[in-house]
Order: sequence, then structure tokens, then C-alpha cells
Amino acid sequence: MSKIIACYKWVADEADIKINPDLTVDLKKAKGKISDYDRNAIEAAVQAAGSLGGKAVSLTFGNASAKQSLKDALSRGPEEGYWINAEEAATADGSITAKALAAAINKIGDYSLIICAEGASDTYARQTAPRIGAALNLPVITSVVQMTFNGNSLTAVRKLEDSTETVQTELPAVVAILPEANEPTIPGLKAVMAAGKKPVTEYTAADLGIDFTPKNQVTAVKGYVMNRKNIIFNEGSTADQVKALAAALRKECVL
Amino acid sequence: MAGVYIYSDRMDLAAELVGFVKENQNSAQVLCFTQAEADQLTSIGADKVCYLQGDSPLVENYGQAIAEYLKQANAELFVVGATARGRDLAARVAGYLDCAMVSDASSLSLESGKLRAERMMYGGAVVQSEEITGLCVVTVAAGKYQPVTGSASVETVQVTADNRVKLLETAPIVKEGVDLRQACNVVCVGLGLEKEEDLKIARDLAAAIDAELGCTRGVAEERHWLPVEQYIGISGAIIKPQLYISMGVSGQVQHVFGVRDAKVIVAIDSNEKAPIFRSADFGIVGDMYEIVPLLTQAIKG
Ligand SMILES: Cc1cc2nc3c(=O)[nH]c(=O)nc-3n(C[C@H](O)[C@H](O)[C@H](O)COP(=O)(O)OP(=O)(O)OC[C@H]3O[C@@H](n4cnc5c(N)ncnc54)[C@H](O)[C@@H]3O)c2cc1C
Repeated sequence: MSKIIACYKWVADEADIKINPDLTVDLKKAKGKISDYDRNAIEAAVQAAGSLGGKAVSLTFGNASAKQSLKDALSRGPEEGYWINAEEAATADGSITAKALAAAINKIGDYSLIICAEGASDTYARQTAPRIGAALNLPVITSVVQMTFNGNSLTAVRKLEDSTETVQTELPAVVAILPEANEPTIPGLKAVMAAGKKPVTEYTAADLGIDFTPKNQVTAVKGYVMNRKNIIFNEGSTADQVKALAAALRKECVL
Repeated sequence: MAGVYIYSDRMDLAAELVGFVKENQNSAQVLCFTQAEADQLTSIGADKVCYLQGDSPLVENYGQAIAEYLKQANAELFVVGATARGRDLAARVAGYLDCAMVSDASSLSLESGKLRAERMMYGGAVVQSEEITGLCVVTVAAGKYQPVTGSASVETVQVTADNRVKLLETAPIVKEGVDLRQACNVVCVGLGLEKEEDLKIARDLAAAIDAELGCTRGVAEERHWLPVEQYIGISGAIIKPQLYISMGVSGQVQHVFGVRDAKVIVAIDSNEKAPIFRSADFGIVGDMYEIVPLLTQAIKG
């Protein structure tokens, strides 16, 4: 059965990032998560499998820590998981990420549609779908908010800054969907239980036969801090707090 | 011709990008896909306007053609305006060239063949510096560089489009929202707002301080309570008001990115641990339904 492949990334939750006083970045306490908008990509694959026919599967390129993501992804509906388990993922740039995913997609074989999200919540580089399209020389449609299928043909509505576009292509194709495209389902207990039983295929870096040397050399990573007054008005009644706030705003000459 | 190549589907942004290239005294070649664009681009100080003539109305369909053109031309750098279309096209070109790409660079310098770039990571919490040698594609958002003037000649080149994606229909999006970037004061509502009707408390406060109304992404994109032009953040409007007052906004980094340049930030949220308080000058922890009307009253005096 033809596969609909949802690509997702296991990322550090930006809400847990600690910036040290010297602006170094501490990710040690950051929990992992499936990048926010990739949940929309997974949902889109599951919905597409329903209307187009075929089997939704999930694919991720991540290091050992991404193991935790497999069950999470599968609890959202895909029938099979694929994981490129490679330490190289930690230093991958846009070029390597797309080539690794493309190589795995070739191994998975027999696919009709590849779905990515708009961008990952860590890099938000928005390169993956077009680059996968280039690597596999497939048609690409980005900024997608709606997909309809008719036989082997995909009609998609794209949302750009000033216009919407309806475009059409023959499958197989690569799409990048916007988060407005759907509302990801929150997996219930049953889905979580079932996820543990779904098959997972693991690839290693060596299986893919690509060069993992990044083209973008990272020379520095620094936290961004905003210096603000951080004054909380918590004395007295709510009315008193509001009065204190209004007084402070008058003093700042912004009222 | 070697040097820097530029493309944007927004003519004003193409002009800014030529401004960047000229700051560094490089040669700037601007690409375009219609005669009308070519005519507009001859006066923005580029060294040459390259009109790539083909048969697709979708510029994204020229990804491979541009990659081949840049390779033949021995281009050093391809700078693309960071719009939805621009980002797509840029990444396709980088894919076909299998070269490096920096998305939405916040700063950029090109010296003796080495590109140094900075960009935001984790929604703006982290700045990453990168160095690239060899041909590279970069996207740059509007408003970073000053346009220049100067005339250029047009060279027409025939290119082949990849017509596998066909355009069936296009419809303009009617802008209903206000331009928050010009606003002096902004009142921002988040998903803490329970019902659409409750926007009234925010509107009343906005009226009292002569502010425009903004929101977080979910309020516009998921709930459709305000036009999408009115959501603030890394993927929405980036604003610099004198005063920004948020209510029911948790203050995730992607949102706060859009208000970094506000003079004074005020937060009203029921969760004392909400990150918005760390980004605020002044805050009140509590129920916005109680606090906001009181604040409106206090200001009206
Ligand atoms: C790649 C990426 C890009 C993004 N870009 C953007 C962007 O450009 N702009 C953007 O806004 N978001 C963006 N987001 C989403 C962002 O991460 C947050 O999810 C979003 O900003 C949260 O919106 P919110 O604060 O309205 O909602 P929530 O996080 O749900 O916060 C609601 C707040 O309301 C408070 N609240 C509830 N009831 C009350 C009450 N009665 N009184 C007072 N307070 C109350 C709660 O305590 C809570 O703090 C992006 C996310 C990603 C992954």
C-alpha cells in the first residue's frame, strides 16, 4: 500500500531553555517534544491517508534522544514509524537534514505524498520540504492550508501574504503545511497503548550513504536577554494594584 | 558574471537587498520573471537586471532553472527576500545546488568569499552565528537595509520552468487589519480570552489609551477572532510601540520576539509563572476580566 510520509523533528522545548548570565545557553533541563507544527504534519498525513487511501507513516531524523518520540508520533495515528538514528542529526544543517530524509524516503519506497510542517520550532528555517523536493526531484507545494485528492491528483490551497492560490499536481509530491491546516488530535489512552505495538524501522547514518559534513559552520551560540524592569504590583486590593500600575505608566510618560 | 544575485517577489524588498550588496561594494544582479518587474528594477542601483523568461506564473517553478543559471554565472551568493514565496524558492535553489542556506538572517556580511551570518533560534531565545564558504543562499526579511538608486540594463534569458505544479486560481486576501508596525500603543489579547464578545474589554482599554488591538497567533489563526495581520510575533507582526499591554498572553518566546522593541511592556495574566512577566516592565497577576476594566477606568480617571 502506498505510503504518506509525515516528517517530524524531535526538538528541545524552547520554554525550558536557560540563558546563563554570561549568555551561554543551557539546554540540559530542556524536555524534548515533537516540534509544534510537525504535529499538524502528522495529522495531515493521517487525514490524507483517509481520503487518498494508503498508509500514514512517520519519519524522523534524530539522535538517540529521538527514541522517545517514536511512541508519541505513532500515538497520533500513523501506522508505522521510521527513525534515522544518527548522532550526526545534532549538527545537521538544512542540506544534511533534507538529504538524510530523502535517502530514508527512498529506502521506505512506494510513497505517494511527503508532508512536512512550515518549519521546526527550534530552527524555524523552513527549508526542509523544498529541499526534499529538490533531492528527490519531486513537485513541491508549500504554505498549504487545504488538500483535496482526486485519483492521483492533489489540489492544494496555499496561503501567502497577500493572496491565496489553488494549485494542482500529480502525486508523488512534497507538501509543507501551515499550522492552520488542521487541529492535531490529542492522543487518548487507547491510542498511546496501541502506539507501543506499531512497527518501527530504524536506519543508521551508514545505511543512508550520504556525507554528513555540515556546510553551515556554527561559530557561536548565544542567549538573547531582554532587560526589563520586572515590577509586579501585588500590594493591597486589585484596585490598588491597578492604581499603582496607572501611576507607573504616567511616570513613564506613556499614557 | 560572478557577484551577488538577488530575487524578491516584492519589488521594495529587492531594492533593499541591492542596498545591502552595494554597502559592501559587490556587484548586484537582480533576477525577475516579468517584463513589468524588469522595468521597475532598472532604477534600484543594481549592476544588471536579469529577466528570466519562461512559461510559468509560479516563480517557485524556476528553482532548478535558477540553480543552473547561478552555477553557470559563477555566483557567490544568492540573496532572496524572506516572503512565503521567496523562502520556498530559495530553499529549492539551495536544494538543487546542494549548497548552504541561511534562513531569515538577522545580520549578514560577505568578506573575501566568506559569509558571516546571524540568525534567531528557538523562537528568538538564542542567536546563532554561522560561517559559510562557497556559494550560499540567504533569505532576508524586509526593513533591514536602505535602498539605493542607479540605473541598470536588462538582459533577457530564456529559462525552462518545472511545470509539474499548475496554478488553477489565485485570489487576493483582503486586508482587514491595521498596520500594527505604525501603532504608538498596542493592547494585545491572548488565548486567555474566553469568548469573542469579550474582546470588548480589550477594545475599551484600547480606546482609552488610543491603542490598536493586537493578538497572539492562536487568536487570529485558530479562533479567527481578529484578522491575521493583527497577530504579533516571529511569524506575524514585529512592532515597536511606546506602550504594549498584554492580557491573557502567556508570553512564549515566539510572541515576545515581536514586541522586543516596545518601550514599555505591561502584562496582565492569572498565572504568576507565565513567562510574559519575565519580559515585562510592569505586571499584575490576576483575572483580566477584573483587572482590565479597572485599568480602563483608572486611565480615563
Ligand atoms: C515556529 C513557531 C512560530 C510561532 N510564531 C508565533 C507568533 O508569531 N506569534 C504568536 O503569538 N505565537 C507564535 N507561536 C505560538 C507560541 O509558541 C505560543 O503558543 C502562543 O504565542 C501562545 O499564545 P497565548 O499566549 O495567547 O496562549 P497561551 O499560551 O494559551 O496563554 C494563555 C494565557 O492566558 C492566561 N489566562 C487564562 N485565563 C485568564 C484570565 N481570566 N485572566 C488572565 N489571564 C488568563 C493563562 O494563564 C495563560 O498564560 C509560534 C510557535 C511556533 C512553534
